[in-house]
Amino acid sequence: MSPVIAGATQARQAPAGGGGFPRLLPPPTHLPNPSSPGADLRAYLGLHGPVPYRDSAGALIGEVRAAGLTGRGGAAFPVHRKLEAVAAARPGRAIVVGNAAEGEPASHKDEALLFLAPHLILDGLQLAAEAVGAGRAVLYVRGDLRARTRLDDYLPERDAYGLDRLPVEIVWSPHRFLAGEESALASRVSGGPAVPQFTPPRVFERGVDGRPTLVQNVETLAHLALIARYGPGWFRALGTPDEPGSMLCTLRQASGSVDVAEAAIGTPLATLLDLSAAGAVLVGGYHGAWLPAAQAAGLTLSNAQLRPIGAFTGAGVLAALPTDRCGLIESARVARYLALESAGQCGPCLNGLPSIAAAMAELADNRPHPRVLDDLGRWAGLVEGRGACHHPDGTVRFLRSALRVFGPEIRLHQQGRCSAATARPFLPVPAGPSTEADWS
Amino acid sequence: MSGITSTTALWYASRATGVVSLILLSAVMIIGMLVNRQGRLPGLPRFAVLGLHRNLSLLAVAFVAVHVLTAVTDSFVSISLAAIVIPFISSYEPLWLGLGAVSLDLMAAVIVTSVLRRHIGRRVWRAVHWLAYASWPVAVVHSIYSSHDMQSGPLLYLGLVCIAAVLGALGWRLIRARTGLPRADRVPQLMADRGLLARAGDR
Repeated sequence: MSPVIAGATQARQAPAGGGGFPRLLPPPTHLPNPSSPGADLRAYLGLHGPVPYRDSAGALIGEVRAAGLTGRGGAAFPVHRKLEAVAAARPGRAIVVGNAAEGEPASHKDEALLFLAPHLILDGLQLAAEAVGAGRAVLYVRGDLRARTRLDDYLPERDAYGLDRLPVEIVWSPHRFLAGEESALASRVSGGPAVPQFTPPRVFERGVDGRPTLVQNVETLAHLALIARYGPGWFRALGTPDEPGSMLCTLRQASGSVDVAEAAIGTPLATLLDLSAAGAVLVGGYHGAWLPAAQAAGLTLSNAQLRPIGAFTGAGVLAALPTDRCGLIESARVARYLALESAGQCGPCLNGLPSIAAAMAELADNRPHPRVLDDLGRWAGLVEGRGACHHPDGTVRFLRSALRVFGPEIRLHQQGRCSAATARPFLPVPAGPSTEADWS
Repeated sequence: MSGITSTTALWYASRATGVVSLILLSAVMIIGMLVNRQGRLPGLPRFAVLGLHRNLSLLAVAFVAVHVLTAVTDSFVSISLAAIVIPFISSYEPLWLGLGAVSLDLMAAVIVTSVLRRHIGRRVWRAVHWLAYASWPVAVVHSIYSSHDMQSGPLLYLGLVCIAAVLGALGWRLIRARTGLPRADRVPQLMADRGLLARAGDR
């Protein structure tokens, strides 16, 4: 599945230089050209100029703080705080990892960015490494993207221009939902399986090979590379005062089309998704939450609005569920997938998620047992907050929102009916060959 | 043997809560081993077993607290506050009460680290949690020898049942540890049990 790439609907007047909108995705004149080696890098340098190294560790951190950049991998954690934590390590000891594991099946934004703006990511990786005084720079990329991204070509090209002060190692990650979880990443880059580890220690204290490790999503690094060039003021020209800047979104329209778009934070959801044919909207991916389409129509893309109602922007996954599909069937498929993606380490996740998935499957079926709803509520409470990682919590958030939003559908199913006009799956759920210990 | 009067009430309360504590702690041990090896209890979903382990632990803490405090408050024999936690300093039955103190100290370490589990890290928690295997047998020896109640009659049988049950669970746990599924196969197996996978390994 290759998502169509498009800028967001509300494009802005481009300021002088390379700082226009969309910010991360290149203008149509600068799309990658696989047939002409080196051309992409030359075009990129023409647009954005060389890597704006600060020539001193820590110098960039203040600018990132002023810009108010938050992590774009889903958690929206303030980037400067991670930078400060890792910068405290002895110079040369820390490791910086750009995270493009993109395990979320409904998200394509990291894939799109790797394809369309790899040099922004690689610049950001170098700048983050300089800011924290790191001795190693790693790019952690989903292995099945290898052929499409052409990173293997770009790295030698950048070397020819002397752009990279630290050599970039690429570690290919398995396509598993949790492979990009920070501690799973640290384990994989250290040579182990991509399985979440028990915290503490957090990876910024002891991560890859036991060293302080800065893990940033590749989109975050791309924003960082732009902030280093155009400044915090420029960055804050988009977004809201509390959540400045723009973010990449994967937009799955009710029509079935899939776009990766860049949108200013605070953009109305109705601008991004065509809600006319949608019954419900999934916000924030498979660890996110369903919202009724009518409610989503009044909201914007911002955690300030989404968090109070139990949702969040996450990694920018937005999906408009068509009215001819059943939200319970879709949710049950996702719940089954999420249960299978459990690393099988923590009891509550190992035992709880299969039970929850089975109950969801029952709910999606004809005339579910009356006890199923009570069971689901009880089990959700039992697994919440009990895992080494956030997998049970995210799964429960998704499940609870489904029970909330699809309440009328549940009553239909209890009467032996279903509103779906088609059984064709809508949300993407990978059908891997097996669940065998494929964590590396 | 005299009946229960105001002067003996605390003494009886202490002994009674002691007996209940032993039963509860044995149950906590057994269910803890079930949790550790993904065992089941009839009528409970597998992962509710963990909740039971926690709740019974809390209940045991309450009974042990009453057991210890009534023993100290009671004037029938004099046990100092310090003797609760410092082993072998009690003037009454120093060895057998001392073992109670040892068991209590180990138990306290297990409970405090469990409460602080989020903050101390899994490795430390796990290491300290193993102390439960030391705390329980010490508590059993303390139970049997510090009063004569448990050395004969029905209470002796109760003690023996507790010991047999915990040893049985330990045996099951050791066998299960050898024959258990590897981690990566556990979820597929459980999904297959629930009809969500044709068989383990399919998706």
